[in-house]
Amino acid sequence: MLFRKIKGVRIEGNKQMSRCAPLRDYLDPPVVSIPLLQGMSALKPAVEVGANVKIGDIIAYREGFGAMPIHASIAGKVTAIKKVWHASGRMVEAVEIENDHSGALSDSIQPEKNPDGLDKEALIQKMIDAGLSGLGGAGFPTYIKYQTKCPIDTVIINAIECEPYLTCDFLMSIKYPEKLVKGLHYFMKAAGAEKGVIAYKAYNQAVEDAVKPYLERFPGITTFPLKDVYPAGWEKYVTEAVTGKTYPKLPSQVGVIVNNAGTAIAYADMVENNIPLIARNITITGEGITNPQNFYVPFGTKVAELVALCGGYQEGLDPKYAWYIAGGPMTGKAILIDDLVVNDTLGAVIVIPTPKEKLHPECLGCGKCADACPAFLTPTEIKRAYDMKDETAIRNLQADKCIACGLCSYVCPSHIEITDAVVKARDSLKKGA
Amino acid sequence: MARFAGGKAPFLRISDQPNQGTGIIMRDFMIGLAPVILFSWYKNGIQVMIDGNIGFFEMLYPLIFILLGGLMSLIMEGITLYIIHPDSRSLKGVMAKLSTSYPMVPGLLLAMVLPLYTPVWVLIFGCFMGTVVGKMLFGGFGHNIFNPALIGYLTIAVTLTGVINAAGGVFNASEVLVDSYAGATPLTLLSRIKELDYDKLVAPYGTLWNFFLGTIPGALAETGALAILVSYGWLVYRKVIKWFTPLIYVGTVFVLSWFIGIASGEPGIWFPLYSILSGGLMFGAVFMATEPVTTPRNPLGKVVFALFLGVFTVLFRYISTLPEGVATSIVFLNIFTMPIDNWTAVIRARGIKKQTAIKASVFAVLFIALVLYAILKAGSMYTAFIQGPIGIGGWF
Repeated sequence: MLFRKIKGVRIEGNKQMSRCAPLRDYLDPPVVSIPLLQGMSALKPAVEVGANVKIGDIIAYREGFGAMPIHASIAGKVTAIKKVWHASGRMVEAVEIENDHSGALSDSIQPEKNPDGLDKEALIQKMIDAGLSGLGGAGFPTYIKYQTKCPIDTVIINAIECEPYLTCDFLMSIKYPEKLVKGLHYFMKAAGAEKGVIAYKAYNQAVEDAVKPYLERFPGITTFPLKDVYPAGWEKYVTEAVTGKTYPKLPSQVGVIVNNAGTAIAYADMVENNIPLIARNITITGEGITNPQNFYVPFGTKVAELVALCGGYQEGLDPKYAWYIAGGPMTGKAILIDDLVVNDTLGAVIVIPTPKEKLHPECLGCGKCADACPAFLTPTEIKRAYDMKDETAIRNLQADKCIACGLCSYVCPSHIEITDAVVKARDSLKKGA
Repeated sequence: MARFAGGKAPFLRISDQPNQGTGIIMRDFMIGLAPVILFSWYKNGIQVMIDGNIGFFEMLYPLIFILLGGLMSLIMEGITLYIIHPDSRSLKGVMAKLSTSYPMVPGLLLAMVLPLYTPVWVLIFGCFMGTVVGKMLFGGFGHNIFNPALIGYLTIAVTLTGVINAAGGVFNASEVLVDSYAGATPLTLLSRIKELDYDKLVAPYGTLWNFFLGTIPGALAETGALAILVSYGWLVYRKVIKWFTPLIYVGTVFVLSWFIGIASGEPGIWFPLYSILSGGLMFGAVFMATEPVTTPRNPLGKVVFALFLGVFTVLFRYISTLPEGVATSIVFLNIFTMPIDNWTAVIRARGIKKQTAIKASVFAVLFIALVLYAILKAGSMYTAFIQGPIGIGGWF
């Protein structure tokens, strides 16, 4: 329909900073603090202070929606349950484990004898047992996507990483292409899907080159290059680009499941070796970091250690005039104290100096925000309705469709915090409902 | 542990980059005005001097007149800010405010749509009405409901047209000597003779080619269709305006005029071309109908706005006694910017579904009714064709 094709906006990527450095493993930190928060739900700890745990032992349970266990990411002694800074910008309870450097594995971590013989139920059960949640940034429990009643014909692996600065998914994909393809293969079996697609950004030709040798062994899997626009990594954009279909709420409504590349790689390990979700990839980058790099780290690792491994902050960086961003620069949160731990949704920590203060005029009504919005909302109208506390108007304007991608603020020539206003309007609807 | 700065996502902003932001948009808009200003200077100054009808200093007058409009509006905005705004009681404070409120624009635009021999005090009065009443009293830049330049223009058009005509009006020193013009611009001629006849409407001014180039009598900058198209290209290229708003506006007038022509027994393509090339339509479509503050924000709203502009322009132009419909229709539709924006935002967010069908059909029905009314009414005004044999014309 006219005016309803997601266009996206090309954003300067700034990825070259951390792109060329290889993905480093940092799997043996002295201490980890695993946050007891996933998405919006707090976790219930299952260990006592003083207990000894091995890698892969269950230390907490997620309850209610998306119930599943959470596992220890290193072996050692539980020393405390105390508050740490979390990527959501708040302090949350965390299980602190001191590493004994034994590397002892839990009994459950065993190679699977016949991974290809597993059926749909067994494959989904593995997602639950391993505590698999999406590593893309939303942290949605993966098994819920696969328990859908809709028939699924396509599983799409999202290796797009449309946020600027981020490179860890790209480096994961070219370092573990075999696991990526295998993970997708198991996802397809779990969903009963015929087709699998690995979607990547067109300029990341290396992804296609890396996975190509493995495609022959796994029929039904193809690759798909996408344009370099933001938000090309949004489920809806990927689905529309790959299948040409658009859906109202969930991709499963048109027979599609979208998973992140990192999730697929983790899932391959789960199926073949029963390793639960205990580590993730993370990019430490930005103009404020001396030597930007990507790491593969256990959950709960202190980001400060990673920053030190990158050579620390750039000399002369004044923290008062710099942002410490958890997540991508478009959707992340500014963290005030640089005492952060890695959790399942933290794909990057970016340190950039704040831009120079400018005098900005008022909204001139150019409509660039409405033009850029991938959900076809009109942010100016939503902001006005929010300022007037007009809940009916906010609902009519479909503020709940906002994905907080940040494009409206990005394109605004008058530097208005319009994304913030729309997100607040959206959240006010949720509270009311 | 270090304490970092707070901030809100997204942390990348186009407006933080050098050479980006509202200031640059307004700069590009000013550059977009340049071709039109230069053409108007050429037509009303340089060419007339070459003809030998005025001297060197008079040649500079059109340029000075337009720039004076900008200057006047700047001064008035400064004074108003000084009076009403507590932060602006010093020169520095006023300058800081002015640097982000683009005070030159209304005056420049106003001067460009006035006749050449408008007395300067009339221009100043227009700038006062535009800047102070049309813009500052609504709260300044970004808060005004009506297009400030057009508020100034309409006030002058309603109250002071006689003064302007007495002072010389639209005809520059060369045009006044041309007998065939008979003291009328194409549109005043049309409203005078009420007849669609190529020989009477177009031939006195040469051919339609003259209309396109702009060498016909008219207000300072509104005649040069070619120069306006150059500006249009630049503004679209720099993404200052949306490419479709002027196109839909002018296109609607074109199609409607054609139908009106057919309804009055004049099916030639010259009449729709004459309609879009005469008067301030092109100028209004490119510079006024796209003015961001007073027009809808979302793209669908801009489309609806432009469609209605087209119909109302035709209505005001051919049915009312005023010869010029562009200014009236833009100011009239400025009132409806907010509801149009709101409704189209809802339609755009949902798509045409059960909940939005009513809103969409209100627009559609209104539009079609207005189109039919315009065709029948205007068609019947220019000829006895409808009135006589069919007799519908009398109903309206």
